[in-house]
Amino acid sequence: MNAFLIAGTVLLAMLVLPGIVIVRARPIDGIVALQLSGTTITLVLLCLAEGFHRSVYFNVPLVSALSVWVGGLIYVRFIGRFR
Amino acid sequence: MKTTDLLVDVFLVLGVACQFVCCLGVLVFGNVFDRLHFAGAGTTLGPLLIGAAVLVRQTTSAAGITAMLVMAVVVVLGPALVIATARAARRIDYGEIGPRQDERASG
Repeated sequence: MNAFLIAGTVLLAMLVLPGIVIVRARPIDGIVALQLSGTTITLVLLCLAEGFHRSVYFNVPLVSALSVWVGGLIYVRFIGRFR
Repeated sequence: MKTTDLLVDVFLVLGVACQFVCCLGVLVFGNVFDRLHFAGAGTTLGPLLIGAAVLVRQTTSAAGITAMLVMAVVVVLGPALVIATARAARRIDYGEIGPRQDERASG
């Protein structure tokens, strides 16, 4: 087990913290926590790709980064209508 | 231990620590705007440090260039998402995006 795999595992465990906010807080607070979770998941995938020494795995965090950004914008666009 | 290994370890530890502080800040602070500060930091500091750790290993290989692309997407597009979220939060909490009457009076 190398340093990247350990970092990826620690980052994955860290998702519990924003996960609590997603479950318990208001929807807009949950979206903020969801965005941070998405970024952290992208970093987990980046660490795992490097940790497994497979260059083809590096496409996964790229797709994740783009879809997290687009998804975040869509959520924010619709949640902004509710008060 | 080689210098590159040491550099990778330092970047990884700093990057993971930054992400931990950001996740903890999002959990601890109660206000959505305070939480946005931490979420915004989570899209810049952590990805840059972890991306730097990957780049130390991969340099300019195909994987290294893809890692640079991932970092660019997260770091450049992240603040736009933070601004959009802040505008939505402002509209939800105060009903308007611009300054309110009392905020205008206080300058």
